[in-house]
Amino acid sequence: MLFEKAFWFIKRGYLLQMSYKFDFLLRLFFMLFNILTYYFIAKMMGDAAAQYLEPYGGDYFSFVLIGMAFSGYLMISLRSFSESVRDEQMMGTLEAMLVTPTRTSSIIALSSLWSFIFASFRVLIYLLVGVILGVDMSRANIGGALLILILTIICFSSIGILSASFIMVFKKGDPINMLLMGTSELFGGVLFPIEVFPDWLQSISHILPITYSVNGMRHALLQGYSLAELAPDILTLVLFSLALLPLSLFIFDRAVMKVKAEGGLVQY
Amino acid sequence: MSGCDSIGIYSIETERLTKRFVLDRGLLDQVRNPGKRDVITTLDGVNLKVQEGEVLGLLGPNGAGKSTLIKILCTLILPSEGNAYVGGFDVVKEGQKVRSCIGFITTDERSFYWRLSGRENLQFFATLQNLPQSIARDRVEELLDVVRLKNRADEPFLNYSAGMKQRMAIARGLLNDPAVLFMDEPTRSLDPGAAKSLRDFIKEHIVEEKGKTVFISTHQLDEAEQLCDRVAILDEGRIKADSSPADLKSRLPAGGSLCDVFTFFTGKDFSEENSSSSPFSMPGSGRRRRGLGMGMKRKGF
Repeated sequence: MLFEKAFWFIKRGYLLQMSYKFDFLLRLFFMLFNILTYYFIAKMMGDAAAQYLEPYGGDYFSFVLIGMAFSGYLMISLRSFSESVRDEQMMGTLEAMLVTPTRTSSIIALSSLWSFIFASFRVLIYLLVGVILGVDMSRANIGGALLILILTIICFSSIGILSASFIMVFKKGDPINMLLMGTSELFGGVLFPIEVFPDWLQSISHILPITYSVNGMRHALLQGYSLAELAPDILTLVLFSLALLPLSLFIFDRAVMKVKAEGGLVQY
Repeated sequence: MSGCDSIGIYSIETERLTKRFVLDRGLLDQVRNPGKRDVITTLDGVNLKVQEGEVLGLLGPNGAGKSTLIKILCTLILPSEGNAYVGGFDVVKEGQKVRSCIGFITTDERSFYWRLSGRENLQFFATLQNLPQSIARDRVEELLDVVRLKNRADEPFLNYSAGMKQRMAIARGLLNDPAVLFMDEPTRSLDPGAAKSLRDFIKEHIVEEKGKTVFISTHQLDEAEQLCDRVAILDEGRIKADSSPADLKSRLPAGGSLCDVFTFFTGKDFSEENSSSSPFSMPGSGRRRRGLGMGMKRKGF
């Protein structure tokens, strides 16, 4: 039954997305613009940042492409759960879904499926365009990359569920989203290596899951690291997931009970 | 299919059901009076019993607590005190089981995906009702036929008229073949002709043909009279009267209409004019008035 539900949530997302075709095309178009911008920045930089990029293969365009592609999962995970709650509240469909026997947590999780599929499609486009523009992924450890991807999604989604709990209770103004969006892009090693920071700032990077996610992904895709070599990043992501997933589910459950008691489940 | 295996004598039962809401306060007020809480009592010790196959009309003005009561019974809101059971299941402790055996028909036409077709909408909600695809497909076709929308089923929902949207809401409410059907002011947004047509449809197909237990909230007296075996008058969060329309009318000293019954039990006048804000108006100085005019009692803590 779960697969049938997942299928229908994905179909609903696809049909709604395709009913706004122009928006879909615009998103793809500006994504290409983004990639080209960094391609020419990398061309201009040449070997100027070689000392920092050495552990990642030495090429800035390859570095930033992987960072941008996979940081998209963080953005989607942070936003999609809370946005799906808010979108359904605003569209007026949340109440109709919540009177069915499907659990509230399942509804929120399944509502986000299409966003993850769309994010994966974006990652594929990023990687495809990257390869066309000369990014070398011939040594990629696909299995290792997929494992890191799964852990990344679990870990980031847990933070996204925490974020949705805030939205459910406070409707607007989610501190987790605001805090992590800003800090992850700056300190997470998305656009430049964290080694650029002084040591005391690097300690901030080390408490952010995205640091391990993009680091592991770069090593798996660009340098073909084995699972043993990827183990430090993988284990850290496992620890983050083990801590964050039960915590986020518990807090989400409490948030649902609170808004049910207050009668604000479908208010926005 | 309904999932209400444990249904007992009563399909719906409430015991001293009470709901209080804490009011939002402005920041300045919170600073000035940090310990104060403004509380509104929307339901105040409601006791109701609805038998299997019975049609109960919950009659009351805007703000009487009708929607709050329905939402508690549909597990969307938790009660503050008291107990409520639907299909024999506790609405607080066994919410998922309650939702398996109910259908909820709301007047909010926004509760559908406007850019999906009617058929796609029903198939989506059928999946949420845990119906396997093969069964869901047949069920959706059957219901589209019942609500006479089969030939328009592939059009986007946004193309439908208000009456068609309401029929879609009924089809959605029947997807899981529920033992108990909740309807929250089902004809509120319809013109008189469409409202009559919908009432006839509910009476013929849902009440007479399917024999469902129906809990219908309304502020349309003719609707209550036409559809309901029993009427409970809810005012200011309390049940003021609860009996068949004929019995309620017989209690009046000189007989009268359901309109007079309402006035007799609540002290309020029922206006036949269909005001969009409220069909109820307060009478002159000779009549009683309780509460704050929203059917709620307010306490400051």
